Amino acid sequence: MAYFMGIDIGSGTSKGVVTRDGEVLAYHLLPSGANYRAAAEKLRAELLAKAKLSSQDIAYTVATGQGSASVPYSDGQVTDIRCCARGISKIFPSARTVIDVQAQSSQVIRLGERGQVVNFVVSEKCAAGSGRFLEVIANVLQVELEDIGPLSLKSKRPVAFTTGCAVFGESEAISRVAEGNAKEDILAGVHQALADKISTLVERVGLEKDCTISGGGALDIGLVRSIEEKLSLKLLVPPQPQLVTALGAAIMAEEMAA
Amino acid sequence: MAEGEKKRPINRLKTMYPLRALVDGMYERAVEAGQEGKPVAWCMVNWWGGDAILRAMEVAAVYPEDYGAVCAAFGAAPAYLAQADSDGFPSHMCGYARNCLGYAARMKELGAIPPEAPMGGMPKPTLLLSSGYFCDTRYKWFQALGRYLDAPVWVLEMPHPGVKESRLEGVREHNIKFLVAELREFIAFLEWLLDRKMDWDKLAEIIDDTIEMNRVWYEVNELRKARPCPMHSRDFWSSMPASLYMAADPKVTTGLYRQMYEEVKSMVANHRGAIGEEKYRLAFAELPPWHSLKFFDQLAERGWNFVIESWAYHPPKPIDLSQVSDPLERVANLTYQYFSGYFEDAYNTGDWWGYFAHPYLELVQEYQCDGIVLHPLLTCRTATNHLMVVQDQLMSKLKVPSLVIEGDIVDLNLFDPAEALRKAETFEETMSHYRQVRKEAGMAW
Repeated sequence: MAYFMGIDIGSGTSKGVVTRDGEVLAYHLLPSGANYRAAAEKLRAELLAKAKLSSQDIAYTVATGQGSASVPYSDGQVTDIRCCARGISKIFPSARTVIDVQAQSSQVIRLGERGQVVNFVVSEKCAAGSGRFLEVIANVLQVELEDIGPLSLKSKRPVAFTTGCAVFGESEAISRVAEGNAKEDILAGVHQALADKISTLVERVGLEKDCTISGGGALDIGLVRSIEEKLSLKLLVPPQPQLVTALGAAIMAEEMAA
Repeated sequence: MAEGEKKRPINRLKTMYPLRALVDGMYERAVEAGQEGKPVAWCMVNWWGGDAILRAMEVAAVYPEDYGAVCAAFGAAPAYLAQADSDGFPSHMCGYARNCLGYAARMKELGAIPPEAPMGGMPKPTLLLSSGYFCDTRYKWFQALGRYLDAPVWVLEMPHPGVKESRLEGVREHNIKFLVAELREFIAFLEWLLDRKMDWDKLAEIIDDTIEMNRVWYEVNELRKARPCPMHSRDFWSSMPASLYMAADPKVTTGLYRQMYEEVKSMVANHRGAIGEEKYRLAFAELPPWHSLKFFDQLAERGWNFVIESWAYHPPKPIDLSQVSDPLERVANLTYQYFSGYFEDAYNTGDWWGYFAHPYLELVQEYQCDGIVLHPLLTCRTATNHLMVVQDQLMSKLKVPSLVIEGDIVDLNLFDPAEALRKAETFEETMSHYRQVRKEAGMAW
């Protein structure tokens, strides 16, 4: 019986998945912190414990994400874009577009029928349209990250943000607070600004249905709704969107071991 | 190869090195001329007319645009960029211009060539030869430079023929006359400034040599259509300045290009490529990140062979000028051919959507590229604004995908090699996909 491991070391969170015959046997998430190597080691220990396996049982491990080079036990590295494509294709075989909202950047990927990357665009060095922007605003408003989505849905009058930039957005959020705007209206405005930025990426890559969303940003229901409104469609949201890329890495591990 | 020596991922052409050395010699000669009190010009790329005139008048020329690339490659640019920033030039302005203005500011401060200047530096100029073609920065940059260096600025104007009106009857003739008049005026100015007369026979010889130099260089690049491609873009970029900037006597440069032609031809005959295994054939749009050329080695290790680059840095398509008796008219025709020759296909097919963009369709098709890397230069609008059109047209007409890697020619801070490599690795899957799509569509590659 062969087991495969996918490790995704992101700038904020490290994610890992163990698979057998293409099905998830165990998964784990933990904060990446400042030492990616330590996070990778801890992640493997947790995964093996959950799956009741030893390291010798793992036939092949693929590492991905910003810290992929810091995974000492990986057999191969694959870019997070390819892993995300494979992962989402496993969950939603009908998916042709993925919006992946990560902590530091966002990317939109067009998929082929076999989950291959047909086209993609990345938000480059700018943090606009990324989870980091939400973190910055949550900090200004002193709102927990998991509360952002539900709170923003209560908004009656979203505040218009003039920027999608994480740096300028912070000072703009402070100005909006000073003007006496409600937190939910500010958050809804932030979601609209993010959706605007992300929709330009979608347009660049060419939208094809079904369209899905992955990454930590997909946990924010307010952001998901804003993107749906902007694109006039319903997004497919996987049950654990943060794990999609790690799952894809495990699938790639299986492919590469064959 | 000596034992223990690591094989380089790109097989550099032997004949590239003497061509690259001509550029070193250009800077050395200019410094010597400055020391001997002989005239020196700082020039913009002017597509040979101005260059030929300066050479015939024995004015040593150096090119701040090339020097921007030199400073970036030698790691000297950050200090000059910082100097320009502190003098108030905005950081989104052209990297070449900022580097040059920073260099000039430092030179003014020291009253001499800065000791850290790579390649011996550029000496204080007697004149500045500017050109209005391509972008607004090129006007204002030398205007500002003239104030730092206390040197006269001459602007060599050129027509912009990349519009459909340039096909109207009589427009070409009018433009050639305009170019010739500009060159004559420049000669008169130089005769006044230097108090010496033009040697017209010498000028005619230089112009004929220049035409031949461009023709041979064009033929070298034609050989790169072979599979595997024997000459990587890095060799093109190393060999290009010798002719684009007229770094030496064009007769000498022509001889070296002929040697390169023979080397490349022999490689084609022996099926030898520029990299170990040519898995992907790539085009590169716009100038490269001069500060990070090692990036291409990493891609070569993955089987990426860059087989063609932006037409804008290539020699003009050859034309027969044997019936044109006036040497100035001959060189004006050469310059005009550079601007209009690559647009012929756009003219003929009626594709007016972007004369800057259209030649890429022809090149990608002729060199059978699997993909193109678009390098939007964050400090250059002119080199960037057509790239999205290129991307769209290559996909819709040829099913060739594009990889966008943002960066800058000079400013290292604007380029992220790790991110670029991450995208490149992903792009391989995209190229493989479209190779299949083209095959199913019955396309040639």
